[in-house]
Amino acid sequence: MELTISLVVNGLMLGSLYAMVSVGLTLIFGITKVINFAHGEFMMVGMLLAYVITSYLGVHPYLTLIFIIPLLFVLGVLVQKFLIEPLKDSDEHIQIFATVGLSIAMINLVLMIAGSNNFNTPASGMRHTLSLGPATVLTGQVVIMMCSIFMVGGLHLFLSRSQTGRAIRATAQNRNAAQLMGVHVSRINMVTFGIGIACVGIAAVLLSPLYPVNAQTGQSFVLIAFVIVVMGGLGSITGAFIAALIIGLVDSFAGFYLGSSLKDVAVFGIFLSVLIFRPSGLFGNARKLAHVS
Amino acid sequence: MLRLNNVTSGYGATTILHDVSLDVKEGEVVTIVGGNGAGKTTTLRTISGLIDATAGSIIFEGEDITHLPAHQVVNRGITLIPEARQLFPEMSVLENIQMGAYRLAAKSRYDQRLEEVLTLFPRLKERLQQQAESLSGGEQQMVAIARGMMACPKLLMFDEPSLGLAPIIVSQVFEIVKQIAESGTTVLIVEQNVNQTLKVADRAYVIENGKIVMDGQAQELMGDDHIRKAYLGI
Amino acid sequence: MNDKTISSSSSGGYGGVMQWLLNNKSLLFITLASLIVIPVMVDDDYIYHIFITICLFAGLSTAWNIVGGYAGQLSLGHAIYYGIGAYTGMLMLNAGISPWISMFIGAILAAGMAVAISYPCFKLQGPFYALASIAFLEVFHIISLNWVGLTGGANGVMVPLELGWSTMIFRERLPSLVIAFGLMSFTLVVAWAIRRSKLGFQLIATRERESAAKGAAIRTVHVRLYAAAISAGLTAMLGTFHGSYLTYIDPESAFNLTFSIQIVLFALVGGLGTVFGPLYGTILLVPITELARGWLGSSAIGLHGFVYGVVLILVVLFMPDGIMSVIQRYLPTTRRRRFNTNEDSPIDHVHLDDIKPPARPPIGELVLKVEHLDKHFGGLHVTNDVSFNLYKGEVLGIIGPNGAGKTTVFNMISGFLNADSGSVAVLGEYGHFSFPKTPGAFARNGVGRTFQIVQPFAAMTVEENIMVGAFYRFRSVEESRKVAREIAYELGLYRFLDEEAKNLPIGGLKRLEVARVMAMRPRILLLDEVMAGINPADLREAIELIKVIRNSGISIIAIEHVMQAVMELSDRVIVISSGEILAQGKPEEVVKNEAVIEAYLGKEVTDASTE
Repeated sequence: MELTISLVVNGLMLGSLYAMVSVGLTLIFGITKVINFAHGEFMMVGMLLAYVITSYLGVHPYLTLIFIIPLLFVLGVLVQKFLIEPLKDSDEHIQIFATVGLSIAMINLVLMIAGSNNFNTPASGMRHTLSLGPATVLTGQVVIMMCSIFMVGGLHLFLSRSQTGRAIRATAQNRNAAQLMGVHVSRINMVTFGIGIACVGIAAVLLSPLYPVNAQTGQSFVLIAFVIVVMGGLGSITGAFIAALIIGLVDSFAGFYLGSSLKDVAVFGIFLSVLIFRPSGLFGNARKLAHVS
Repeated sequence: MLRLNNVTSGYGATTILHDVSLDVKEGEVVTIVGGNGAGKTTTLRTISGLIDATAGSIIFEGEDITHLPAHQVVNRGITLIPEARQLFPEMSVLENIQMGAYRLAAKSRYDQRLEEVLTLFPRLKERLQQQAESLSGGEQQMVAIARGMMACPKLLMFDEPSLGLAPIIVSQVFEIVKQIAESGTTVLIVEQNVNQTLKVADRAYVIENGKIVMDGQAQELMGDDHIRKAYLGI
Repeated sequence: MNDKTISSSSSGGYGGVMQWLLNNKSLLFITLASLIVIPVMVDDDYIYHIFITICLFAGLSTAWNIVGGYAGQLSLGHAIYYGIGAYTGMLMLNAGISPWISMFIGAILAAGMAVAISYPCFKLQGPFYALASIAFLEVFHIISLNWVGLTGGANGVMVPLELGWSTMIFRERLPSLVIAFGLMSFTLVVAWAIRRSKLGFQLIATRERESAAKGAAIRTVHVRLYAAAISAGLTAMLGTFHGSYLTYIDPESAFNLTFSIQIVLFALVGGLGTVFGPLYGTILLVPITELARGWLGSSAIGLHGFVYGVVLILVVLFMPDGIMSVIQRYLPTTRRRRFNTNEDSPIDHVHLDDIKPPARPPIGELVLKVEHLDKHFGGLHVTNDVSFNLYKGEVLGIIGPNGAGKTTVFNMISGFLNADSGSVAVLGEYGHFSFPKTPGAFARNGVGRTFQIVQPFAAMTVEENIMVGAFYRFRSVEESRKVAREIAYELGLYRFLDEEAKNLPIGGLKRLEVARVMAMRPRILLLDEVMAGINPADLREAIELIKVIRNSGISIIAIEHVMQAVMELSDRVIVISSGEILAQGKPEEVVKNEAVIEAYLGKEVTDASTE
């Protein structure tokens, strides 16, 4: 019983981290219809920047958010404007290659500059352990969990209440009609991409005191993010959140019962089953799968 | 108010409109009628900026809007209510209507306009929170029109408002079009249903194979054999 | 036959082809030769290694292109098959079996795996297929790490250094180069053969426009599975060789995502879907990165990956069709000419006088029986109790206002949509009625249809487009080509046989659509708004053409808005409005029917004009 609670708590912690990473990815796909294969690399960059700034300025890693959020937002805007937008009328496979190329370039650029070393941002108190009943968690993990709830909630509110949020949803649902309302679609796409990358930047900063980063770190997260995004239904923020928690639990239990090297088989097994049997995801509907443009 | 001069446009390699010229004066209700594939929808899409004209010019209130992108055409005061409604399917009725007021000039008059629109469409008032795609065809058309009106347009264009609707609903829709026109908005309607639209319009153009073949006062055209010929080939 | 037309085309075409062969082929020959000659002349171990790598990747890329380029299935997990080949080779070598044998075993295993993986994934759209392939690759990676008993886990598998041709392990590099070159050449030959064969046409048609391919009775799932299996088999063979060459394999290098992506990158840079594109792509990129590495020192890890990433982005932005498209544009005479829009009469006249149709045969027996078709889309009742018959040799027109549901009915009588209730019976070749359900089944029962939105198979020439239809009746490429040429001639498209289909004007595209279907020799022809958007001059010819088709005994159903055509051509007309049949009968009568006029124009215009 105690074991189960431990695993559940661990799973939820993991799940909320995954949620923060995935939410940006699903937002980007829902609006721009692009699968951002480079999503993990932005996370890696965020973590590296957190390390660098913390090391040189000696501040608490969380303070780097002030710098990293706007920077990653701008990066997202630039990628959308210069890489994705020019390809919007191209074949799907061309768009895939664009983000795959970006991913490869980013990983290897970091390899060239920093080698294959691991970088550990100082814990700054985020690795204190807390007891939640029989489970042991780190303070940093609790922060992540709370922030993920805020992030998802905040995004949800933004999308449903604000004028820009409405415009974003409208563009996702009917691009032409949105234009007829006066929505500047390419600008909305840029803003959305920017928000998506900024979200993953937040995840990166919050994770940095807990987890080492190297050039390949993004790769380990991005596959799981894809699984979550597909499961939750592309474009659905709440779907991604719930799917993330589920995957976090699967990861936790499978990790214990199958061992750390085999647990990914469970995750990928679920992914492939969802893709093959219910590609619109557990919560999405068939419409969201369509490449509307 | 609006003038098309020798406009040619189409999709990719296919030219649909050949050398089309027409004009709409302020306060008028003008209609373009014609059979399938004649170019009616293409005309409106070219005006609204969804399609780029390959030749000719479009002048609105003295300004050349020929190559303006769609969202800027809206900002100039031309709103299109597209063919087959094109609502935002997963947004509620209210949200769809709110999107209509996205245009900057409409934002300040939002509350007042919303009031007016809901008075005009009492059925929608009851369904504000309902998801747009769950409404009936007629109700969806009401939402589309309401959404268009929220933009406080100077020129409101309708693309085949009767498409796919039962005859009773069609009459209701045209009744509303008439009311909109009477309140001073300039209206341009493109239709296949000649009868209803000629009753409501001041002037009419007949388009065939991408060319304007006839135009005149709506009343005169009602009894004209040319129209039957254009539609039914007899 | 009009001699002038034929001979001018032939001499220009034949000579042009020869010149192209000369030019393209010589480039190819030089390229291939240099792959052997240069390393032999330089005789440096490192250079040998680079060229062996080039041959390997060129082969892998070409093999990938069979399923990625021809079939359009973007697999990013192809390393699976490489890994299967490599492990099979190594494990069997340890058991004393030569890679020359295990190569084929690995190929069979890989082919089987490819079919198992691909079949459920084919219905996934582009990015999802790619994601699934990555997921499968990761699963293999993890399994090979953990199934230590079989694969040795992370330690990998080594082989005893027994030298000789039977183990493919050598001290010198030249024999390895020879084997690599040989395997690569074999792969190129297979890729080339497929491209020119019926399978190649069917793959490209499926990739370009699956609905039209199904309408041409292509088994779209089967052909893609063939492609996947062949591609996997070739990849595995190369993997077996490489394992012996490296004398070591481990999960990290065997089932590697970056490796997978590299293969795809070379194919993309060279030109997806072309035969030799991957070869040129590899030859261009591998030396560049090796040079860069040499220049900046081999300690610059990540450099060649970075270059690849940047190249991928640049290619995608500026040269998405790859090097081959650039080569084809600049070589003096290429087979695919650009359509010259300055020519006077873009489309030839239909050669009706030469065909000399017999007098029109009398209208015969019932060939199509549609009964009580009903269809709902969500809450909408789009088709309501539609029934009608079609008789042999007649032309049945379907008219009605926009959005009335005409195309929905068409889709139900050609297999692209299934009715909720009701039946569609087609008279078969031997006098029995069948009830086909899929596009392929309808096609096999003699029903051919055109599509309203005309889209040719863009990557193919006009001739190849028509051949896709002809392949339904013939196995061989030559026969299909002959039939395609005849039909092109009949429909006035002869001059454009070698043009890329996408360059035709709208009138030509419509005729091409009809030509493709006619190549299947249908008994029933469904025409979906085939007269729409063509100019009045072409309209006359189009009407005459339909008459000729009708006279040859084919029964026709045509959805039309161009009333002139409907009146002249139809023996009977059906009016569909709001999903129901409003009227049936002779055209002159139907058009005067008050209900019909009302449906189109509305009540009071009718009243006004009949006063």
